[in-house]
Amino acid sequence: MNNSLRLIGTAAVIVILASLSGLASEYMLGIGFTLFMYIALAQSWIILSGMTGYISLGHVVFFGSGAYVFVLLWGLVPVWLGVAISGLVVGIGALMIGYPVLRVRGPYFVILSFGLAELVKNLVLINEARMYMSLRPVFGAPPLAQLYIAMLVLAVVATALTYWIRRSRFGAGLRSIREDEWAAETIGVPASRLKLIAFALSGLIPAMVGAIFIMRSGIFQPGDAFNPIVSFTIVTMAIIGGSDDAAGPLLGVAFLVILQELLWANWPEIYMIILGVLLIGFVLFAPGGILGWCSKNLSRSKKNAA
Amino acid sequence: MLRRLLTASLVIVGMLGLLGPSQAADPVKIGFSISKTGLFAPAGPSQLNAYLVWQKMVNDKGGLDIGGKGRRKVEFVQYDDKSDPAQAVKIYEKLITSDKVDLVMAPWGTQHHFAIAPVVERHKFPLIGNTAASVALRKVKPGYLWFTTPMMPDNLAKEMTAMLKSRGVKSVAIMYNLLQFASENIQFLKPALAKAGIKVVFEAKYPPDIKDMTGMLTKVKGKNPDAVLVHSYPGDSILYMNQAREVGINAKTQYVMVGPAIGFFRGMFKSNLDGIVTMAAWTPGLKNTTGSKEFYNAYKKMFKGHEPDYLDSVEVFVSAQILEQAIAKAGLDREKIRQAVNSMTFDTIYGKIKFNGVQNSITPAGFAQIQKGKIEVVWPKQRATSSVVDKGAWAK
Amino acid sequence: MDILFSPQLLAAALITGVLYALISLGLNLIYGTMRLLNVAHGDLVMIGSYIAFMAFSLFNVGPLISMFGAAIICGGLGWLAYRSVFQNLLSNSEILARLEENSLLLFFGISVVVQNLVILFFTADRQGYEYLSAIVEIGDVRLTGARLAVLIVGSVVSIAAVLYLRFSLFGLAINALIQNRDASAIVGINVDRVQMFSLVIGFGITGLAGALISVLEPITPVMGFPYTMSAFVVIILGGLGNLWGGFLAGLLLGFLEIYGVAVTGPEWRSVLVYGIFIGILIFRPQGLLGRGRVAR
Repeated sequence: MNNSLRLIGTAAVIVILASLSGLASEYMLGIGFTLFMYIALAQSWIILSGMTGYISLGHVVFFGSGAYVFVLLWGLVPVWLGVAISGLVVGIGALMIGYPVLRVRGPYFVILSFGLAELVKNLVLINEARMYMSLRPVFGAPPLAQLYIAMLVLAVVATALTYWIRRSRFGAGLRSIREDEWAAETIGVPASRLKLIAFALSGLIPAMVGAIFIMRSGIFQPGDAFNPIVSFTIVTMAIIGGSDDAAGPLLGVAFLVILQELLWANWPEIYMIILGVLLIGFVLFAPGGILGWCSKNLSRSKKNAA
Repeated sequence: MLRRLLTASLVIVGMLGLLGPSQAADPVKIGFSISKTGLFAPAGPSQLNAYLVWQKMVNDKGGLDIGGKGRRKVEFVQYDDKSDPAQAVKIYEKLITSDKVDLVMAPWGTQHHFAIAPVVERHKFPLIGNTAASVALRKVKPGYLWFTTPMMPDNLAKEMTAMLKSRGVKSVAIMYNLLQFASENIQFLKPALAKAGIKVVFEAKYPPDIKDMTGMLTKVKGKNPDAVLVHSYPGDSILYMNQAREVGINAKTQYVMVGPAIGFFRGMFKSNLDGIVTMAAWTPGLKNTTGSKEFYNAYKKMFKGHEPDYLDSVEVFVSAQILEQAIAKAGLDREKIRQAVNSMTFDTIYGKIKFNGVQNSITPAGFAQIQKGKIEVVWPKQRATSSVVDKGAWAK
Repeated sequence: MDILFSPQLLAAALITGVLYALISLGLNLIYGTMRLLNVAHGDLVMIGSYIAFMAFSLFNVGPLISMFGAAIICGGLGWLAYRSVFQNLLSNSEILARLEENSLLLFFGISVVVQNLVILFFTADRQGYEYLSAIVEIGDVRLTGARLAVLIVGSVVSIAAVLYLRFSLFGLAINALIQNRDASAIVGINVDRVQMFSLVIGFGITGLAGALISVLEPITPVMGFPYTMSAFVVIILGGLGNLWGGFLAGLLLGFLEIYGVAVTGPEWRSVLVYGIFIGILIFRPQGLLGRGRVAR
């Protein structure tokens, strides 16, 4: 398959997905919304954590902050402008705090990122309680079909961004940081600057996702918007995908979201247990993630054929 | 081969059976989402249990009375919403559009009610809310949602102030959790107290994950207020109960918002709870109510001697009673049910209930006190089963 | 601000700090020897709490006795986990290549399974029981019997464990493993055995802590997660794999929290805890007592 064919194919898929907004049932659109949401989130996570190896366990901080900025703007500016502003504000915020935060490495960074999300959550909580606004309903949100399209756009943008970065000089720099940051610095990779840009890029889209998400849930509450389970879910999906390229999160998210949808609807009593067992099974039998497993087994079968 | 064929044909026959003509006595399918896992999971059972008790009581009678045209049993379709409002939205969409339930009942908590409001509105499914309390709920467009709770923060503030006044309280210490319901209470309580001339000598708020209250309570003790009002949830209520005794807070009125009405909490503190006032407006012996004793006994029987949560389980059961009576009048036509809910007066374990807009307009906000190990409704006076007494010294 | 000199507040700070120290010990041990990010750590606390609750409601046995049962059962779970999963895991080069990610995923899966099994058997309903609720007075300090017991048992167990792991032969082996895995195998330490025992001891102590905690808060299937995260905060502060540092960091965090809140007001509790944590890490990216370069 040559490149232009591939491009046409991708465009066709996107157009088909978009046209579903007018055709599919509400329930199916809801599933699509969740799917795109996590694709956007996981791709953004890959930009920072997949490529640089700085594993963030607090990615919900961008999601929640975006939602918060958005809900503060709710009713003051047009909806989609509000979404864009939320992304910008959070992206700029990430640039501001990124430098000191990214000095911390390895498992220290994992927990630091979690702590950062908790810190911001509590600041928002205090601020909201001051105004007696610990729960803000979002009345009159756009219909699901519009939110679905918006989320699709974010998912496409995030995927394209990851795809492009992975193939750019910038991405090569990021990955050299993952392999050995000191060595990278020695040969002249501007590690601090690259990390900072990755951090901001990786916060921009989740913030907009958070903004769109609260139009779906109809409510902003700090505890929900900064729920650590969102961070854990993102990490899980990205790791299961098993790659720092755009295809990894795409596979991981599609697999987990669709599986989860099938499970909760059919085995509401034990679906979480099945899901947990699957996660464990993944580590034991496919520690390289879906992509790792594929490349290993496919290459093996190729060898056998030869 | 033969065996496989046999199995296959059995499966096909079974599936045909499912598709076959429905019988007249088909159960009424009622759907809801429940917070089985996630942040609010510990609160989930108080709701689910009350639904199950109601289902059993109805089915034991032969089923729901469908507008006077015979009875049909109740069948629940329930999914776990993982305490995630967006998941609740998806579940109600699925219940309505894909599972084709006849009716829906409420999910847990204020945020989930807000989340699903547009869904029930769009599909014109009437829904009697429970376990949701916020003045912001009144901004929900009237139509398909009603809120059963008497515990609206502004009403609570009014009644609290009246109760404190009747007890001659001049000074209070206020502590509250930063979460929505607790802090919203303070929004209304402070002006009400000021208006009544009751002085707030200490005020502090704390995050939901607080681990220790010693410092805060030591300061409260230093102010020696007539009343201590803790707007807390079960976890922080336990902190208060332990550390107020350690520090030696001896105010004659001590209010612990959420906790004392729940069975496990009383099991933890037993006689130490005597004299504590809490948020609840029901007790099995409450007069002028319909079905209180029956509900209480059925609950205890179904859950091995455990008592219902006097706050949440009660409110949930009330919402189910309202739905049951509306169906008895209107049948299963959702538009008629809607009109019935808007116009009827219902007989519930809270007593008579009528809706004005989206809100329960009869039941007043109220308080209960633990007296000799039993929960007595002590406020407002016209509903009280006992009168408020001074909290004595801590038992242990 | 004479409240700052109140012995009652000192006792509260000690209890909070000792609990932090006790809960983080097992996590530190397991991370130190095996580099596993155990995000199911708090679920062992939860299991310990349920064991204590069951022992009390079925046999009327208090947590001061059932904590040993909880320690043994959780230790046994550690043994089982090692033999069934981790032994193979730690010799699989493909998994080792992405150990942090994979252990995170693995323990997250375990956590989900454990929590939901408990929900299946007990429902998510809160549980609780009354135990040593009477007030004990020691000088000016008044504590419920249960909180006093937590203070005493928690200090004894965590100090004893830290000392044992610092001075005993086995402890030295663990320390060697924590400091340099490959070298310790060369000098003849049975890495397999040491790993197994650190998992057993780590799980056991955490189960014991869970039994103690069962008298302090509602017992629920989801009670563990906050403990997972506070344990991580503590061991990161102390420097990963540094048991003594973790113990000190636990105490320090307890004191900062209690006294910080007494000065600023309780609303700032979590902002303080996480703010201090982040602040310290930014200035000392290897933790307070961590060794120079962070090993990965």
